[in-house]
Amino acid sequence: MSDLTHVQARLLEFLRGEVFSPQTAVSGDTDLIASGFDSVSLVSLLLFIERTYGLWVPEREITEATFKNTRALAAVVVRLLDERQSAS
Amino acid sequence: MNLTELLDSTASRWSPKPAIIEGDSIVSYAELVERIAALASQLQALGVAPGARIGLSYPNSITHVALTFALWRINAVVVPIPVECTDEELSGVAATLRLEAILARRRRGTSVSVQPEVFFTRLTPDLPADNHGLNIAFIRFTSGTTSARKGVVLSHETIRDRVLAANQALRIGPADTVMWCLPMSHHFLVTIVLYLTQGATIVLARHVVAGPFLEAVNRWRGTVLYAAPFHYALLARDASSAGICSVRLAVSTTCSLPEEVAVDFHRRFGLPLAQALGIIELGLICVNVDDPAARWNSVGRPLPDYAVHIRDPDSDGGGEVLVAGPGFFDAYDNPWIWREQLMADGWFATGDIGRKDAEGYLYLIGRNAAVINLAGRKVFPEEIEAVLNRHPAVRESRVYGTAHPRLGEVVEAEVALRSAIEPDALRVFCRAHLSADKVPSRIRMVHAVARTAVTGKVRRPIAPPVA
Repeated sequence: MSDLTHVQARLLEFLRGEVFSPQTAVSGDTDLIASGFDSVSLVSLLLFIERTYGLWVPEREITEATFKNTRALAAVVVRLLDERQSAS
Repeated sequence: MNLTELLDSTASRWSPKPAIIEGDSIVSYAELVERIAALASQLQALGVAPGARIGLSYPNSITHVALTFALWRINAVVVPIPVECTDEELSGVAATLRLEAILARRRRGTSVSVQPEVFFTRLTPDLPADNHGLNIAFIRFTSGTTSARKGVVLSHETIRDRVLAANQALRIGPADTVMWCLPMSHHFLVTIVLYLTQGATIVLARHVVAGPFLEAVNRWRGTVLYAAPFHYALLARDASSAGICSVRLAVSTTCSLPEEVAVDFHRRFGLPLAQALGIIELGLICVNVDDPAARWNSVGRPLPDYAVHIRDPDSDGGGEVLVAGPGFFDAYDNPWIWREQLMADGWFATGDIGRKDAEGYLYLIGRNAAVINLAGRKVFPEEIEAVLNRHPAVRESRVYGTAHPRLGEVVEAEVALRSAIEPDALRVFCRAHLSADKVPSRIRMVHAVARTAVTGKVRRPIAPPVA
């Protein structure tokens, strides 16, 4: 659980600082796509996750459900990290 | 000659046919031409004069298209500005190209509302722009403060010529429905203008994730896809059973197509991806419509109107790609440089490295490193370097593209420091001045950045091909 909270906090920090304008309030429940999360944001976020966790979110995971909000996104990232750990 | 005449003549033939579909809203050719006429008179009433350069910062939409043609109708010059640009970037473009106004979806200080979501902001350039008597339709801003080639100037005639040349291979017609997901502020001429002057229907995809995109392809029976490898990678990994059997042509553009994406997409949908080579200054030079399945890694043979020459090929046949043909850019601005001054022999040196096979198919083996192609967007290193160099801790910087298996290329930087600073802090500084896609994903600290011996300019090596 602490992993999830930690990942979500880092994603939120990135989205607030580097993707959304300061006027957009982003919380764990904010619908990202409805708030203007477009393909520029998508690419920046994928690169952030790759840089931070050494993890390229596989294309099959890049769905509307994953980008529903930061909580959903963090859950996917944590699951992928767990899968990687158990595979190694 | 004016490009709106081409649209008018298409519209008179196909008036009830859908021109553009955005969500549930369908605009016919007749309605599109009416919207354009109404916007044109409003813009004229606001004092937009022939030859005036107007910035257009508007997301993909029917309105983006209508505003472009409305400006053309009153002989104004369109300068697209990506919506993701920061205010500072926008002001930079406005000052460099001497824009007289900005049309945007966002309200700014002194803006006037043209329509509920269209705002017109008048600007006061230091000097009036000089169009040198040219019938300019479009200027594409290409880089920041240090490069001499800041804007690519294209006349109405030039755009018509390149559209007609491109359609000899694409063969877009009234039976086509094009599924659109690239940003219009980066791609508009040999795409949107071509489709609308040939009577096709354009469907604006709501988002690039695979589910909604495939749903739209099937709902509207799309026949043509035109996207970057990044988008095709998303589609290729879609886990649903949705097919795309209505699609006859899927063009992959903006950067090299990774083999994995080519193979997976072909396997998943039974349709090979046709790679293309488009260059801002020139138009669409190659598209592999003849043999995309076996030669997925070729951009194809040059289109009928173009000649491609490989200069000084090495033992493997690789050398710089030179191109001759119609519809090439008219000039650069600012400073103004006529095309003829730069290509006296009629050949344009692309900076790309390529080779041709025995049948004349062109393979790109290194891209022009002065442009970074990131998932369908073109990013110019100079403007990022200019921002990095402004940070007090930075002595000098070099920005370049690095091959990325999914995105084509990503932005990276080398920085020589005056005082210690963390890469993350430099990234946050960049983001304050640049759109998110231009922030270097990796910043390396070095003692000195690489420079060319002759000019002292930052060295831009030819980027390696994507593996």
